[in-house]
Amino acid sequence: MTGFITRRLLQSIVVVLLVTVIVFILLHLLPGGPARAQLGPRATPAAIATFNHQMGYDRSLPVQYWHWLTELVTGNLGFSVKFNQSVASLIGERLPKTLVLTVLSTLFALVVAIPLGMVQAVKRNHAADYAITFWAFVFYATPPFFLGVVLIVVFSVYLPILPAEAPQSSSLGVILSQPGGLILPVLTLALLTIAQFSRYMRSSVIENLTEDYVRTARAKGAGERSVLIRHVLRNSLIPVATLLGLSLPAIFSGALITEAVFNFPGMGQLFWTAAQTQDYPIMLGITVLVGVATVIGSLLADLAYAVLDPRVRYA
Amino acid sequence: MRPRKLVFSPARRPILVVLLLVTTLMGASCAGQTTPSSGQPVQGGIATFAEPANTTPNYIFPFMSTAYFSVTTVSDLQYLMYRPLYWFGDNGQPVLNDRLSLADYPTFSDANRTVTVKLRDYAWSDNTKVTADSVVFWINMMKAEKKNWAVYVPGGIPDDIDSVTADSPNQVTFHLNQSYSAKWFVYNELAQITPLPHAWDRTATGTSDCEHDVGDCTAVYDYLTAAAKTINSYATNPLWQVVDGPWRLKSFNADGNISFIPNKSYSGPNKPHLAQFNEAPFSDNAAEYNVLRSGDNSIQVGYLPPENAPAKPDDQAVGHNPLENNYTLDRWYSFAVNYFVLNSHNPKVGPIFQQQYFRQALASLVDQKSIIKAAVHGYGATTNGPVPTTPSNPYASDMTEPNPFTYDPERASRLLADHGWSTPRDGVGTCERPGTGPNQCGPGVTAGTQLDFQMMYATGTPQINLAMQQLQSSATKVGIKLDLQGAPFNTVIGTAIPCDAGKPDCNWEMGNWGAGWVFAPDFYPTGEQIFGTGAGSNQGSFSDPKLDQLIAVTQHSDSPEALQAYAQYGSQTVPVIWGPNYDYAETEIANNLKGVTPQSPYLNITPEDWYYVR
Repeated sequence: MTGFITRRLLQSIVVVLLVTVIVFILLHLLPGGPARAQLGPRATPAAIATFNHQMGYDRSLPVQYWHWLTELVTGNLGFSVKFNQSVASLIGERLPKTLVLTVLSTLFALVVAIPLGMVQAVKRNHAADYAITFWAFVFYATPPFFLGVVLIVVFSVYLPILPAEAPQSSSLGVILSQPGGLILPVLTLALLTIAQFSRYMRSSVIENLTEDYVRTARAKGAGERSVLIRHVLRNSLIPVATLLGLSLPAIFSGALITEAVFNFPGMGQLFWTAAQTQDYPIMLGITVLVGVATVIGSLLADLAYAVLDPRVRYA
Repeated sequence: MRPRKLVFSPARRPILVVLLLVTTLMGASCAGQTTPSSGQPVQGGIATFAEPANTTPNYIFPFMSTAYFSVTTVSDLQYLMYRPLYWFGDNGQPVLNDRLSLADYPTFSDANRTVTVKLRDYAWSDNTKVTADSVVFWINMMKAEKKNWAVYVPGGIPDDIDSVTADSPNQVTFHLNQSYSAKWFVYNELAQITPLPHAWDRTATGTSDCEHDVGDCTAVYDYLTAAAKTINSYATNPLWQVVDGPWRLKSFNADGNISFIPNKSYSGPNKPHLAQFNEAPFSDNAAEYNVLRSGDNSIQVGYLPPENAPAKPDDQAVGHNPLENNYTLDRWYSFAVNYFVLNSHNPKVGPIFQQQYFRQALASLVDQKSIIKAAVHGYGATTNGPVPTTPSNPYASDMTEPNPFTYDPERASRLLADHGWSTPRDGVGTCERPGTGPNQCGPGVTAGTQLDFQMMYATGTPQINLAMQQLQSSATKVGIKLDLQGAPFNTVIGTAIPCDAGKPDCNWEMGNWGAGWVFAPDFYPTGEQIFGTGAGSNQGSFSDPKLDQLIAVTQHSDSPEALQAYAQYGSQTVPVIWGPNYDYAETEIANNLKGVTPQSPYLNITPEDWYYVR
């Protein structure tokens, strides 16, 4: 197992480096350039030249990349002029907010989707299954911006019982002390995820219910509840574990649309603003973060298989 | 019938718990409503101002480079604490505000080569006075670090100042390198000065003397700039707490959540009524509107997104306000001109753009009034020339109003036909009479040249899309083919730049970023930065010696006729193609908050004038 993890981590470093090279090149192919994007239409050619020199954009691409890489090794992700902050500091401020949103919604989705999927599988082709399937498709097909606005209109405008925006603070403690403001954004993200997870869970449970080990358990006298909870649930969680592993990058990169609808400046908005202003240091910093999250997520998913399925062994 | 047994009762428990939690939290977060007002002014209270979407103040040191210069940074942060020498915007008019200025209107002598500024009795919050040294401190900083001053223009301030002397603690004299128009010098040059406190004349190692020695200024600049780049310390760094404005920072969060409290030692005429003034950031217009319509009273001064603005009847200032229960709607004009640019240096189509008749024809195809009505529900004003006519102001005159090239496709067709072009409807016109004669296509335009252009425009705002489609549709009527190419705003401003013919970056043809030019801090609309030959913001590389001469006159003559002559000629020669000037914002003001209007066309805010009524 240790050898497996070591090999995967070494491969991951290469993958992340390759990703940064590709992103670095693509960024510099964007028309316009960062100077105009950040200085605006009033910038004079002299101001643009000064900016490019101060930011090092007047150097060759390999030199710029090497400089960025060597700084990265020392933990310096660069400085964003647009935000007047270091990228590390920006990520340090935005990431906890995003994590509050995405982790809460994912946990909530898991808590709801797993039982829902099991109910559907057990009650397959019955009214409950049809009803849950109907709503799962509705939420799965609903764009988050629309769902968010509908929730705001219902719960903030017509029934003014919840705030229309998420808590406005950079302090995690303050954000968590205002849970009312988190309900709608968490719900917006969670409803979509519940729809997705519950469909996978339903299929997986249906498949497992036909397996020999289930028949054996029943033959040995295990009760229906025991069969489902002790035997079927664990095996049925494998596809959900895969989904969770693949969700890790999204958890770190933020939920742009939900953040925008609920005015909750997290990682998604940070990346969006950086992309609009061609803020290279931020885009590269987030790329590294999401790249690392992706490889770690897939590694964790692989490890979760071994935990959930005793037949899986890594050497 | 017996109830069916629920198989998953243990699993349902978490769902029930969550539902209960949600219900409890819903109750806990019940929001309030705006209190109706009966008109009695009260002292105190907190007012929150919604910052424009995705735009937050991010730099505290008033001496900043272009990278940090923005309306929100200057107007919504710096000016609240650090007052400029001269304040612009008075009672909704784009003029100097004598009452809020730190100095008397300057005295000009020696044929306008000597300018004497007498400071009024203003104090910093550390109990020192705003003195002549505070002004000289800024000028010296400009001299030492002019490349780092956001609005520095070669030849402008400080290049046009030979020397500056502090005659006494409350008087400073500028000796200019030549005679300038008093109005131009005050509005466009002295307007850039923000006196700096003595407490800022220091470096990391101790006190310095930039107030008296330019040689010390670079180190001071470096020190203050480094402090300004530590954004999360703005509210705690003692440096930034030394203010001469009506407010000082209580808290500052890099996301844009900012709180100000009154500066108790403010010596100006308009002391704050509010106990606290907040600014709130928004990710986009819709998020801000959602908060306004939720009625939770967390925003007192917000804005109505253009798409939600009610249609404005022609005879009324605004349409029916959808938020009238809690807010009053007010139009916020900016002193600006809107336009798109033509690249005169483009090797292929530049010669066509250099023809005045062509620019006049193209201008005649822009239906500004219809665009304003259809795209922004009536909340805009036509741009008639280089001098804004809305809001009403002392610079515009009968000579610039009405626009000589209002929407008239027939005129456009006639202008082209009279100069040797075919004008097939739904086709592409060609030059049939090349040459330099009065009825020929003009210098550099060869026979068979087609009226076929690429127009790059900023996507993302409905009004620009609609304006471009209208122009494309009108143009086809007279044989002009416009190939519309939508691109992000930053791509447009990064591509539509002044360039030299033959260089790779000079292949763009037409560019429209949709925002034109706001006259601030060049408050006197003389246009040298946008239409002067070789000017840094003359994106189309337009050049007209007569216009240059008229601009120069406005900089050196105080005669009102000088600006009128410039405006009139600029309207006729059409250096750019004018477009509708959309309102800066449709402001929603809480019904119980007064003093917010009239709003400054220079986009400043003065929350010290705001007060609640009950």
